[in-house]
Amino acid sequence: MTLYRPDSLDSALSLLGKGGMTVLAGGTDVYPGLRDGAPPAHLLDISGIAGLRGIARAGGQWRIGAATTWTDVIRADLPPLFDGLKLAAREVGSVQIQNSGTVAGNLCNASPAADGVPVLMALDALVEVQGPGGSRQVPLTDFIAGPRAVALDPGELVTAVLIPDGPGQGAFLKLGARRYLVISIAMVGAVIATRSGRIDRARVAVGSCGPVARRLTGVETALTGAAPGDVARLVAAADLPELAPIDDVRATATYRNDAARTLIARAILMAMEAPHVA
Amino acid sequence: MTNITLTVNGKSVSRDIPDETLLSEFLREHLRLTGTHVGCDTSQCGACVVHVDGKAAKSCTTLAVALDGAQVTTIEGLANGDLHPMQEAFTEHHGLQCGFCTPGMIMASVDIVNRYKAEGRTLTEKAIRHELEGNICRCTGYHNIVKAVESAAAKM
Repeated sequence: MTLYRPDSLDSALSLLGKGGMTVLAGGTDVYPGLRDGAPPAHLLDISGIAGLRGIARAGGQWRIGAATTWTDVIRADLPPLFDGLKLAAREVGSVQIQNSGTVAGNLCNASPAADGVPVLMALDALVEVQGPGGSRQVPLTDFIAGPRAVALDPGELVTAVLIPDGPGQGAFLKLGARRYLVISIAMVGAVIATRSGRIDRARVAVGSCGPVARRLTGVETALTGAAPGDVARLVAAADLPELAPIDDVRATATYRNDAARTLIARAILMAMEAPHVA
Repeated sequence: MTNITLTVNGKSVSRDIPDETLLSEFLREHLRLTGTHVGCDTSQCGACVVHVDGKAAKSCTTLAVALDGAQVTTIEGLANGDLHPMQEAFTEHHGLQCGFCTPGMIMASVDIVNRYKAEGRTLTEKAIRHELEGNICRCTGYHNIVKAVESAAAKM
């Protein structure tokens, strides 16, 4: 195995163009996988590329560089829009994993149980990709093409996660078999913008309840205009065609459907609470 | 093979190692610093926690070559003549049973206390339990571990 550590994006793209590279950022998904088979012949560590780490706002958009860790997210000064992302950041593995693991890596790994995905979907995140053909932006909902599959062409590298700025407060809830260091049974990310105490715009996504996390567009529409007191009833009555959970070692499909519905209502109400320090 | 130079426990070390060498393997097999334990080898249990550039890291989840130039502190580098206050506290409160998880527990705990002190935050029992989520004691001796961390935090 050879490890390449380019210090510029150009040299990273040039190495990637040669083919056969496994991209490495924090490595928290790559290293445990090394025991499962032959190690990859070529690893491309992007964590040393200048300008790829950090969170900044410009032109009505937030930019999370591809080498930004979950600890960077937790420590960043961000508006309530990101409260859900901060809560999700605290659920990724443990402190040591949050110190190494990156937001972009969580997306590229594309686990159906990735903690970062539902909340970033609710934030309408775009994935910035650079490759031989230049730069392009892909909505996260299209980027994650299936379990462990992303819409990246050969030679392309994720360089940032982009989030449109706007009103609203975020929330995130995860259910696992225990409180800490656990793969989720179901999880919900929500971003709610309110006007005069009622929902102006709801954005809700569910993870671990299907091959990929999904936005719940039907529920989002049904919630427009709702007061906090209406939320539980509306969610209980909602049709949720996006949920397609399986029975596995962590939970049955029936339990996941029931738990997800409870988490959806709780996350929405949490995102409507008076702003607090995340 | 790549040549790397790291500062481990304050001493500069330079070695030619295969690129796939994990930091845990580098410490144990190349430097013979066997205080860092490997429990699960899948970045869950925390027995292998060391400090890399002042932050807690799971050494089984880090390639040594990627750390060229970094400062690494292991359990062997914690005592400075006398035992570190965290080591004293684990002894005093019997914060261990079989002891396998102890090096990682101590390294994680020192990181927790340092972080809370630097940020001016109060380290409550609840916070200690939450912060130790990445370290698993399969003897389930958590009560005394938490007592030890509380006690050391008051002295650090």
